[in-house]
Amino acid sequence: MAANHVSYDATSSNGRASRPPLNGSRHSSSSIQRTKVLVLGLRRSGKSSIQQVLFNNLPPKQSFYLEPTYRIVKTQIDTVVPLELWDTPGHATPESIGIPIGQFRSLIFVIDIRDLYNQPITKLVSFVTAAYQSNPDINIEVFVHKSEKLQEDDKIENFRHIQERVTDRLLDLAPEYENIQPNFYLTSIYDHSLHEAFSRVLHKLIDSLPYLEDMLNVFCANSQSPKAFLFDTKSRLYVATDASPVDTATHNLCCDYLEMLTSFGTLYKSTASTSRHSPPTTSEDPQLLSSNGASLTPSPTTSTGVPPQSSKKHPKEMFYPSAATSLHPSTPGTTLTYHEITSSLALLALVPTSVYEGRRGLLEYNVVFFREGVQEICDVEKETREGG
Amino acid sequence: MKKKVLLMGASGSGKTSMRSLIFSNNPASLTSRLGATIDVEQNHVRFLGDLILNLWDCGGQDSFMDSYLTTQRPTIFQQVGVMIYVFDAESHEPIKDMEYYRDCLEGLRYFSPEAAIFILIHKMDLIREPQQLLDKRRQELQEVSGDVSIQLFGTTIFDQTLYKAWSSIVHTLIPNASILSKHLSIFAQACGATEVILFERTTFLVIATSSSGTGVASSAVPTYAKDGSDHQLEPTRYERTSELIKAFKYTCSRVREEFHTLELDLHDFSAVLDELTKNTYVLVILHDPTIETAAVKLNIRLARSKFETLQADSLN
Ligand SMILES: Nc1nc2c(ncn2[C@@H]2O[C@H](COP(=O)(O)OP(=O)(O)O)[C@@H](O)[C@H]2O)c(=O)[nH]1
Ligand SMILES: Nc1nc2c(ncn2[C@@H]2O[C@H](COP(=O)(O)OP(=O)(O)O)[C@@H](O)[C@H]2O)c(=O)[nH]1
Ligand SMILES: [Mg+2]
Ligand SMILES: [Mg+2]
Repeated sequence: MAANHVSYDATSSNGRASRPPLNGSRHSSSSIQRTKVLVLGLRRSGKSSIQQVLFNNLPPKQSFYLEPTYRIVKTQIDTVVPLELWDTPGHATPESIGIPIGQFRSLIFVIDIRDLYNQPITKLVSFVTAAYQSNPDINIEVFVHKSEKLQEDDKIENFRHIQERVTDRLLDLAPEYENIQPNFYLTSIYDHSLHEAFSRVLHKLIDSLPYLEDMLNVFCANSQSPKAFLFDTKSRLYVATDASPVDTATHNLCCDYLEMLTSFGTLYKSTASTSRHSPPTTSEDPQLLSSNGASLTPSPTTSTGVPPQSSKKHPKEMFYPSAATSLHPSTPGTTLTYHEITSSLALLALVPTSVYEGRRGLLEYNVVFFREGVQEICDVEKETREGG
Repeated sequence: MKKKVLLMGASGSGKTSMRSLIFSNNPASLTSRLGATIDVEQNHVRFLGDLILNLWDCGGQDSFMDSYLTTQRPTIFQQVGVMIYVFDAESHEPIKDMEYYRDCLEGLRYFSPEAAIFILIHKMDLIREPQQLLDKRRQELQEVSGDVSIQLFGTTIFDQTLYKAWSSIVHTLIPNASILSKHLSIFAQACGATEVILFERTTFLVIATSSSGTGVASSAVPTYAKDGSDHQLEPTRYERTSELIKAFKYTCSRVREEFHTLELDLHDFSAVLDELTKNTYVLVILHDPTIETAAVKLNIRLARSKFETLQADSLN
């Protein structure tokens, strides 16, 4: 699917000189195909804040000081899919974008939840209809934003109101627009709703999603895990999850856990010594490098029928950070585990504490199996992108 | 053992917010919903099991301030262990604030001359040049306080600085914290740990560390580890750990779970955070990759009863 995209050399006209570039730009090799996402909305609806909070670790409160966006700003973000986000000024029109709207895989339209006037809807409709002409498959994502500003009842009412108005307006224009199914999300930079919404936007852009989901399902079944997420560590967006429904509270817990681990990781890092885990060598003995008992050698198990294929590209001896927190002092408690899968992905899973403590070998085996599968998928994705 | 802690300062300076953040696991974002404190709100909080902190959160409106300083003077200022005076960093009435502080200082000197005095310049998150303001305030307050020794901290409910200040505050209330430090140091050596830190269970304030020979939970200087190596660690790590774990505890409570233990095995270090005694948590930091976290967990279990005794002794 990536091959359909016209290659575009992103020259980021970055107006935010005061902040470091978004985390994606370190791999700014222009040869890879990037999936383009257009972020739209009236001025001050929160477009730039959303991107800065998600991808540049901007503390939400500081979004107050963001400069207005005067021109289109393109930012490259490296998640499982390499993205190119186009931030736009409030006055952007379909004609002023510079390339056909159909070349974007998704349009994210940001509407302030308190803005019940016609203006944002008119703008949205003009973009949606322009996009639909050239790419009927384009994803239309509507963020009803700053939702924390309203009380629960008003929030739901305004959300429904905006939803109805958009659908009505599209239908008024032409019956064929019935086929356009915008997705609506309540979002705010002050809670995890933004992460959850953007994760769902991202899922539609991941071509290998079904494979990742399958592997998570297998992991959950074999580890008695009621819920597992594959997270992009830096942005804290989840890339995939198993088939069980996502409960917002659990999602938030995982986001916070990831954030806590990231902060904790920097606190006790010794500035005097280098990393205590040497980079992978040719050593054949996994015990040498995987310290602390959790041997990465797969132990025999009956739960998964298939033995893990030994991957050539990612030697097993490599050290992969892990963590676990037990959430209840008594049995049957839950343990929330963290396992690094690749340098940018981590597996977070809820497992019964009895499994974590009593069947550690099985759990580690399942993680290794999962890791190898994901690494293989990532490699294939990367090759496709680079080759295209 | 009971200790009286006075929490004073103008109305709106943030006294009740910080109390609720430290002692009842509320997140900073909810403090704006607190009602104004009328007159004096007395609270008993159990700390480290046998230590009972009798917190006097004093309203701070002018009329009440006036009555503390006249009719209620003995009631307020008698038998005080610690007075915490909170200044709003953005106060619009700095002169009046200073006058009230001076009056409180008088009362304290008369009725509880032994009391420790902490001054918090609070809401520092609102200040653009924080160091400049702190230096200025420190100088002014030292002048006003004369020969009375004061400890001053810049704080805000939005970061770890509040934990740093309060760790120092509670530290003055634990007479024999140095015993704990000494034994933590021995325990660190036994585990091959770089550092061992002891937290009070509900507040997650730092009580003692293996690195502080004197028992002062100070983190102003970077610490060199006890394991003979030359690890140099982030100076704000103690208070930031308090803040991080406290926030995560809150997250857990939101999903009706209860934070219990944490273990990490990262590139740079591994760590175990577990209950040590009924009222404390211990954090063991390891930089030696040959040491297994499982062994540390076992050591913690073995050290429990010893530390129960030590902890009880530390309050006597
Ligand atoms: N209350 C609230 N304010 C927000 C939120 N997101 C952004 N803002 C504020 O909205 C204002 C405009 O944000 P900005 O990102 O510059 O909007 P843009 O013009 O669409 O890029 C800023 O003051 C932000 O602090 C949110 O989720 N809630
Ligand atoms: N910006 C900022 N606001 C704070 C801080 N601490 C408390 N506040 C706010 O100050 C207001 C008054 O706080 P409160 O605790 O009731 O003050 P009290 O009258 O001294 O008890 C509340 O709206 C708090 O949310 C802080 O560190 N920074
Ligand atoms: Mg903008
Ligand atoms: Mg109050």
